[in-house]
Amino acid sequence: MVPVLSLLLLTLLAGTVVTFLAGRRARWVALATSVGFLFETLWLLDSYTSWPGRSGALGVPQYSDGESYAWISVPWLHINYTVGIDGISLILILLTAFLQLATVVYCWTESRRPSAWFGLVLLTCLGSFGVFIALDVLLFFLFWEATLIPMFFMIGFWGGPRRRYAALKFFVYTHVASIVMLVALLAVVFYAHAASFDFSDIYIATHSSGFPIVTQAMLFLALFFGFGVKFPIVPFHTWLPDAHVEAPTGGSVLLAGLLLKLGGYGLIRWAVEVLPQGLAHTSWIVYGVAFASIIWGTVLSLSQRDLKRMIAYSSINHMGIVLLAIAVYSSLGLLAAVLLMFAHGVVSGLLFMASGSVHHTFGTRDIVTLRGITPRTPVLATMIMVGSLASLGLPALISFPAEFTALLATWDRLGYWVLLPLVILVVTAGFYLWMMQRVLFGPPQNIPEKAHDVDVYETAGMAILVALIILYGVLPGFLVNVIVNSPVYGFP
Amino acid sequence: MTDFVVAQFVGLSAALLGIGLFGILTRRNFILLLIAIEIAINAAVLNFVYFAGFATGPGGVSGQAAAVVIVGLAATEVAVGLAIVLALNRQRGSINVAEATTLRQ
Amino acid sequence: MGAFDSLFQWAFLVPLFPLLGLVIVGFFGDRMKKAEFGGWVAVAFSGMAMVLGVLIAVGEALTPGRYTDVSYAWLTLPGTQSVFSNGFSLVMGTLVDPISALMLIVVNVVGFLVMLYSIEYMHHDKGLPRYYAELSLFLVAMNGLILSDNLLEFFLFWELVGVCSYFLIGFYYEKPSAASAAKEAFLVTRVGDVLFLLGIFIYFATYATSGGGAGWAASGFKFTTGSTPFLGSLVGSASSPTLTIAGLMMLAGAAGKSAQFPLDVWLPDAMEGPTTVSALIHAATMVAAGVYLLAVVSLFLGFTADDRLAIVAVGGFTTIWAASMAVVNTDIKRVVAYSTISQLGYMVLAVGAGFAMVGLYHLFTHAFFKALLFLAAGAVIHAVGTQDLLKMGGLGKSMRITSIAFLIGALSLSGFPGFAGFWSKDDVLASVYSQVGAHPLYWPFLLCALATVFLTAYYIFRAWFLAFSGDHPRDPTLPHGHDAPWAMRLPLLVLSVLAAVAGLFAFLPSFSSLLPGANVPPVYGSTDLVLTAVSAGLGLGGIGVAYVMWGNGRVFQLPSGSPLQGARTVLLRRYYMKDAYDWIGLHGVYRLARAADFVDQFVIDGSIRGIERAFSSLSNGMRRLQTGVVSDYAAYVVTGLVGVLLFFLFVAPWIFRTMGGG
Repeated sequence: MVPVLSLLLLTLLAGTVVTFLAGRRARWVALATSVGFLFETLWLLDSYTSWPGRSGALGVPQYSDGESYAWISVPWLHINYTVGIDGISLILILLTAFLQLATVVYCWTESRRPSAWFGLVLLTCLGSFGVFIALDVLLFFLFWEATLIPMFFMIGFWGGPRRRYAALKFFVYTHVASIVMLVALLAVVFYAHAASFDFSDIYIATHSSGFPIVTQAMLFLALFFGFGVKFPIVPFHTWLPDAHVEAPTGGSVLLAGLLLKLGGYGLIRWAVEVLPQGLAHTSWIVYGVAFASIIWGTVLSLSQRDLKRMIAYSSINHMGIVLLAIAVYSSLGLLAAVLLMFAHGVVSGLLFMASGSVHHTFGTRDIVTLRGITPRTPVLATMIMVGSLASLGLPALISFPAEFTALLATWDRLGYWVLLPLVILVVTAGFYLWMMQRVLFGPPQNIPEKAHDVDVYETAGMAILVALIILYGVLPGFLVNVIVNSPVYGFP
Repeated sequence: MTDFVVAQFVGLSAALLGIGLFGILTRRNFILLLIAIEIAINAAVLNFVYFAGFATGPGGVSGQAAAVVIVGLAATEVAVGLAIVLALNRQRGSINVAEATTLRQ
Repeated sequence: MGAFDSLFQWAFLVPLFPLLGLVIVGFFGDRMKKAEFGGWVAVAFSGMAMVLGVLIAVGEALTPGRYTDVSYAWLTLPGTQSVFSNGFSLVMGTLVDPISALMLIVVNVVGFLVMLYSIEYMHHDKGLPRYYAELSLFLVAMNGLILSDNLLEFFLFWELVGVCSYFLIGFYYEKPSAASAAKEAFLVTRVGDVLFLLGIFIYFATYATSGGGAGWAASGFKFTTGSTPFLGSLVGSASSPTLTIAGLMMLAGAAGKSAQFPLDVWLPDAMEGPTTVSALIHAATMVAAGVYLLAVVSLFLGFTADDRLAIVAVGGFTTIWAASMAVVNTDIKRVVAYSTISQLGYMVLAVGAGFAMVGLYHLFTHAFFKALLFLAAGAVIHAVGTQDLLKMGGLGKSMRITSIAFLIGALSLSGFPGFAGFWSKDDVLASVYSQVGAHPLYWPFLLCALATVFLTAYYIFRAWFLAFSGDHPRDPTLPHGHDAPWAMRLPLLVLSVLAAVAGLFAFLPSFSSLLPGANVPPVYGSTDLVLTAVSAGLGLGGIGVAYVMWGNGRVFQLPSGSPLQGARTVLLRRYYMKDAYDWIGLHGVYRLARAADFVDQFVIDGSIRGIERAFSSLSNGMRRLQTGVVSDYAAYVVTGLVGVLLFFLFVAPWIFRTMGGG
């Protein structure tokens, strides 16, 4: 059997190293790597026909394309290189591949230290990919941290005027969270007396009787905090707007598109699947945080003047819906959560690219002063419009099937509480429409003479995402049929 | 009887440690400082040797072994310390440790 | 029979034709200068859709009561363990049934005529490829909505209809008022949409395991199985507070799209779009969707008695609410716009009273005379360049055909005996009247609807007299109008004929099989005839009053001290509804958002920055300890050591003792 996952990992690793060393040809290496990685992912997707299912009395979920090699093995400590995928991780790997390609294409003309830039882009994607395949606590943590460092440098070196503050804030917040996460994961391993650091051993240990509920609940909350900051959840969200505003466009795309998804994925795989009893006994906290994030993110989006800041806050809202869908703890909810993560990755990627281009073209992202850009930059305006309409959940675009299933699952579990996110949908539509009315329409105002429409690379980068938004919006079955081939089934 | 002997030895080594610590805390002269450290270390060595006498079996000599290692380490430390003293004296013409605070920055 | 089966299977082509048009025009429209920037392509494809749509309708009329459903799984989740325990599947498909066949005629005929009319009307505008692409998308969405075989698909196209109206109302996007009106239309209908979505959730979850086979959820929440509603005997018989709420949510959705009170504010402002767009929105597409939704729900899911009362109340009240605002308006398009809201009220009223087919009957006739009125108004605006009725006058001489077309539309709208609107409006009133015995609470709303007959006749003839009667325009600077060229005239002619006779179609047996329900065609008992006489009399009275006040170029002036002046202001300000919504938006939501922003920056972020500052000042204090003097460090070590010793000697045992441990 071909060790496909290691092959993919090697592709990215080799690509990253070569890109760092390639000097002026770095972008070509990066492009080749991303295209190669995308094709390998599609191959993986094609060969993934069914989920191996669960095994044993405890119903331990099995994984496809699994590989496991002993890494550190002493009598009281077994750490392995264990990787494997299921439908959930496969969809997020697909997202990684698409976003990587789109980002590399979009940033094609990056002139400041291109080799370092493209290397960092690939490194971020490498880390995300690793997180999605790792089935060992330490391996998982290693990749998790590996995404942090390139993002820190991307913001800190290529960022806006307050880049150092933003980079540090990003690093401190997410790092504190990941320390808590690591400690909590190790605590799970040791308190539950897991046979090794492997996911399946931890699963067996936590699902065996005799693991106290109180411990489970406390550990779940710690993990929830650790993964939640990445979401981000209110009130630990303030790093996100600052990081986005200062981050370079490519950094924003990867930050919103991939890094936020790590939180969602981590929560599903390492908290909800491992400690379902913990979630069950703390679900009211999770619901509360989810509703708070949904409301807070939207209300704040309304009051923003900076386009990027607005989109950043709307990310908080969307990830809040993801959290809600996870918290309802049903097959439908989990399906919706994964679908929403994919949708949000693509849509926010597009929106951040578009707002980056707005800044690049007009020298400002101020919603209040910028007016009527459509006649001058029709392509850019179209991209903003597609992104906004997708983000506010227009049917036939990718977010709709996800939001529909998420809210249906919420209704199924929580009844009329679903009115809260529904009302928020109106407000979301409100601020996107308001933004479009200001920025796209009306008589042109504050348009610099030299402003010209986006160049071919930026267009191509965004076009990839637009194509995905429409394709998967019309035919979400492509995604759903993969996602349901996963432990989604074990959910109530 | 044994208690009294133990108390004597432990008291001796505690006194040595006290003298050493007193020297470390009060002296500003580097060489005196080194001497004080030696005294404190030897207090520990004394304890190792003394309590090793109670041990039996294969691990019986580990106390003596530790003592030898510590003596060796102490010699090395003195050698490095004296070298620092020489360098310090050459550089600033003083071996007062309170003045050697450049690393603080 | 068999001949039509395959035709019905191909119903998906109806939305597909305009979609092809959309793609071609969207991508290549810029290069088609000769073909009116893709206009002719769009016309051709909508023509094909019309031919197929009408063919299907004919087929359906000839094989009464036939339901043809073709569907594909869109998203499947088999065997979950919640209420969707037998599996959960969402499908996309086409359902050809009598009422969708009827709607196919309405949408595609009006759509085609509007497209054709646009060729000339929009000739001088910029951005024509965009215009035709969006118009095509509108037809795609509306046809998709009509042919939907489940509520989710319905909702999907419903939203697309909404976004198309957003694009088209904001077609002149450089005009701030147009951009604002587009946003308003989207946002107000969106309020209805999310409630509609909630209604869908309720229906889906409530009936998940009901119906035949593995249950409704497993078979894709389809409306029908074979030729009966999927939920069979549950339709209309089940009743619970939850279902009542679901029905109300459907009403809310319909109220948003069909501009019923209190979600009616967007429709008059939607006049910012090109007049052709208004015609399409008001006659065949956007607003028809709401009524169609109510009809579909009442056929396949059923409303509870409380729902029906609410629907009657909303519809009945909206008739007079909107008509009263039309009475004073002087903008020719707005007058017609208010009449749309008011007429939609009749349709909703009929559905609420339990006669969904009568509502659709009125929708059918209304589509033609309303499209006619708008296109005629468009011809006027095209010719004289203003929408202000007070500046017009005497246009009947120079624009004879337009004048007659508008007159026919007005007669039909005001229910002049014999014209299309007469039959259907009368049918609505008679149907509601037949229910007031059982439901006395319907009385006030029936009276509203009756009073509206008078108002309708008055305001539409006021508009006609102001525009066309008299000798010359009141504003002498106005250009002399002339009748439109043939591409605009042909749709007017066709629609004039339809506006005159479409009401009689219902008396054809095969046609009325497209409206399978009570009271279609209208039945005339003895009490109905009295009602008919009353409503016809009210209509004629309205025309008469309008003639007295506005006929022959007269302009009626209210005395300046009249108490009616105040009422006039209130009506012109639209009962201050829009102001109230704006106030809520600006002072409520936006202020709240600003406050939240402050809290976010200074309280949430601030408290965390405060923690950070506490740490940094703590570390500043600690830095002072770092003297660099070796003996100081040694002192710290010793102190620490002593501290640890003391802890383990005294504190730790104490803790263990108090905790009761060993």
